[in-house]
Amino acid sequence: MAAIELVELTKRYGETTANDGVTFDVDSGEIFGYLGPNGAGKTTTIRLLLGLLKPTSGTATVLDADIRDRRALTEVKSRLGYLPDDLGFEERLTGQQVLDHFARMRGDQRRAELLELFHPPLEKPVETYSHGNKRMLGIVQAFMHDPDLVILDEPTSGLDPLKQDRLHQFLEAERDAGTTIFFSSHVLSEVQRVCDRVGIIRDGEVVALEEIGSLLDRSGKQVRLHLAEPIDDSSFLTDEMVDVELVDSTIQFTYTGEYNALLEQLTQYDIVDIDITNPQLDDIFKHYYGPGQSS
Amino acid sequence: MTAILRLESGSLVRSSLVLAGLFALLSAFFFAAFPGFAAEAELIEEAFPAFLIGLLGFEEIHTIEGFLAGYIYPLVWLVFGGIYFAYVSAGMIAEDIATRRMDLTLSNPVSRESVLVEKIGALWVPLVVLNVGLFAVVVAGVTLLDETVDLADLAMVHLLSIPYLLVCAGLGIVLSVVLERVETAQAIASGLVFVLWLAEGVGGLDDGYEWVGAVAPSRYVDPSAILVRGEYAFADAGVLFVAFLVLLAVAVAIFTRRDI
Repeated sequence: MAAIELVELTKRYGETTANDGVTFDVDSGEIFGYLGPNGAGKTTTIRLLLGLLKPTSGTATVLDADIRDRRALTEVKSRLGYLPDDLGFEERLTGQQVLDHFARMRGDQRRAELLELFHPPLEKPVETYSHGNKRMLGIVQAFMHDPDLVILDEPTSGLDPLKQDRLHQFLEAERDAGTTIFFSSHVLSEVQRVCDRVGIIRDGEVVALEEIGSLLDRSGKQVRLHLAEPIDDSSFLTDEMVDVELVDSTIQFTYTGEYNALLEQLTQYDIVDIDITNPQLDDIFKHYYGPGQSS
Repeated sequence: MTAILRLESGSLVRSSLVLAGLFALLSAFFFAAFPGFAAEAELIEEAFPAFLIGLLGFEEIHTIEGFLAGYIYPLVWLVFGGIYFAYVSAGMIAEDIATRRMDLTLSNPVSRESVLVEKIGALWVPLVVLNVGLFAVVVAGVTLLDETVDLADLAMVHLLSIPYLLVCAGLGIVLSVVLERVETAQAIASGLVFVLWLAEGVGGLDDGYEWVGAVAPSRYVDPSAILVRGEYAFADAGVLFVAFLVLLAVAVAIFTRRDI
């Protein structure tokens, strides 16, 4: 059963098309990654799903409620959690008062449990919060009524790496307990880390819809090497190295093969410096989906 | 569902109290001027240009009733009170949308209709605080001046002006759902209340502007009629209340259809 179903969902603002015929399903009980660079149209999709925007054409259902049916959509929102990218809390209230306010509208049976994992300074007014504290308060309000579906828009932005890890683990546990999670992000590595499936959006269009495994296989690693001696490219390069840039004793490439094979090969060289990182989202787009209008 | 009503009511307490304090201060100045004023009333009425007398609705200005109805109520209540209600309402929706608070609010199982109605409903706070505050200040001022005023009439001035304040709020909330910028909505709403009040005063004198006077909410509230002549214009208050409901309906209709 699908928790979210989008059918040719389109939103235009004059000449600009923010979402162009977006079509995919989010299955119940999965973590679905919605991946795309900033400005690709991720937030527009989410705001359409919440009924904040009206679609120009096409539609979607959220927990079986058609987003064009305001009454039905309002009703299912008691089973929905939402963490916006830009958190608009009533700044003069304390964290405690903010949570009390949301609890009055939809309950808070899991508040205490969540506050053990994520602990913003509840007694202080929200206007004094750091980004990370605001984000934690946002996470607590999104999950405290034990929703069936949670929509997260850039949920880790502002969180320190430790808290990010904690959130990732928490999301996996929630998924295992049956909650559906829609996870929007522009960070490939975190989508790889927590999501089961991923939809990639660029310039308002969904360009790929894959199992996370196949995305991982295709995305590879960005490798930058500085060797003690100039590199002889004919003996160094293999088929798994793509997008190679070589200048004297420095080489940079995207490695798409097996990691052990690469490490074995590298032991034969005198390495001065090495960087192995996840490729930027834009690079992956260039490799697998062709150059975009904006890049 | 009263969570929004509760939150919004709380946020209006402070500004209502501050404004009640300002009203008290302003009224104190007026009352201090009254003794000298009453003695020179005839001279003042002669010296004032005719349009100003029409604007403030001077009648029997040498009596305390005429003074209240000609100075304190038009200026403090209809102008400043009206502007406050228009200003506060104009921020209600526009500000929540601008700060993205509306996104979070509407992720809850609440309809847009109920968000708007609960926010307007929170105006009970300034209505109570300002009415009680100004009533008390006026009674205290009149007593200190060794004068008396009919308390039933005074209460009726307040009661019959509530629909007027609600219409000002109605203008504000319509602007709040239409305009993107909070400051613009608030400036236009308060400016509109002032200009309509001014136009109504002027319109009473000039034939060409009668239509403006007819749509100005201040046309339908007359402290002089109540305090000086003891006439209660319930029908006019009814007109204002219907106008408020119409404005509210317009605001709901626009708010439920627009993108946020």
